[in-house]
Amino acid sequence: MKTPAPDRCRSLLEQLSNYIDGELTPAQRRALTAHLRRCPCCQTMADSLKHTVETCRKAGTARLPAEVRLRARARIATLLASGAAARPRT
Amino acid sequence: MTLAVTKRTESHPSTRGQDGRGIDYASLLRAAQGGNQAAMERLLMKAQEIAYRFSLLVCGHADDADDAMQEALLKTYRHAAQIKEPAAFRTWLYRTVKNACLISRRKRVDEPARLHSLDEVAMAPDGSVHRIDVADPGRRPDQVMENSRLRQSLHRALQTLPPESRLIVFLREVEGLSTRDVAAVVGISEANVKTRLHRARLSLRRYLEAP
Repeated sequence: MKTPAPDRCRSLLEQLSNYIDGELTPAQRRALTAHLRRCPCCQTMADSLKHTVETCRKAGTARLPAEVRLRARARIATLLASGAAARPRT
Repeated sequence: MTLAVTKRTESHPSTRGQDGRGIDYASLLRAAQGGNQAAMERLLMKAQEIAYRFSLLVCGHADDADDAMQEALLKTYRHAAQIKEPAAFRTWLYRTVKNACLISRRKRVDEPARLHSLDEVAMAPDGSVHRIDVADPGRRPDQVMENSRLRQSLHRALQTLPPESRLIVFLREVEGLSTRDVAAVVGISEANVKTRLHRARLSLRRYLEAP
């Protein structure tokens, strides 16, 4: 028996993260890709979910603010200069 | 138009221990253990960078960042030489940062919680928080504005998630850990990570796409 469209969409929605992460089997991926071509709602959902994931990933590439970076470097210099007390055991 | 799909390389066994920006933590640790000071300095900087992002995005408290960075720095320095499996260093580092940030938060538990955007704040040595210049000379002003707006939205959106889901999104999406490494840091199964990540992505999407 053929699955009604809304259930089909709901079921494929559960696979979208695996699709974005490239973790679907080839057969699952073909089925999802074919559905996205036919279903503008699911395509919009897939595009916006991918956009959300990309937004998160961009945050990880942001540089530290200059002042924070300077203080981080100063801490490292102080620690390495302090020598014996904090020196790791080998 | 179909969705472009790219498989994340860090899930490949040969690239485990690298982050999304190609930093090979295991090699860096081996070099540091061998007495390479530049490698040790880089490792210590990475530990502090992670602690800073964690404080802002997971804990949501910029005022904890310096304490967390200091704790992550000391723990990494003191324990780097004792780590027997360099490949496991990255998950150790994230666990350490997580604990350092939670300790910092507990110390300040009586203080009022304030949320600050990653793009808006920096902290002075006395602990006060103020606005910073986030100009990025490598990008056009409109791109900087757009990225800044997106990061502020993301910061607010992350705070709407349950703490564990926020941690999973941070580790997997922002820091680029593999599902396996996220599971190791959080202490849940890979299947559970995937389920929670998917739900968190849907929540974030609703928030970020809202007018």
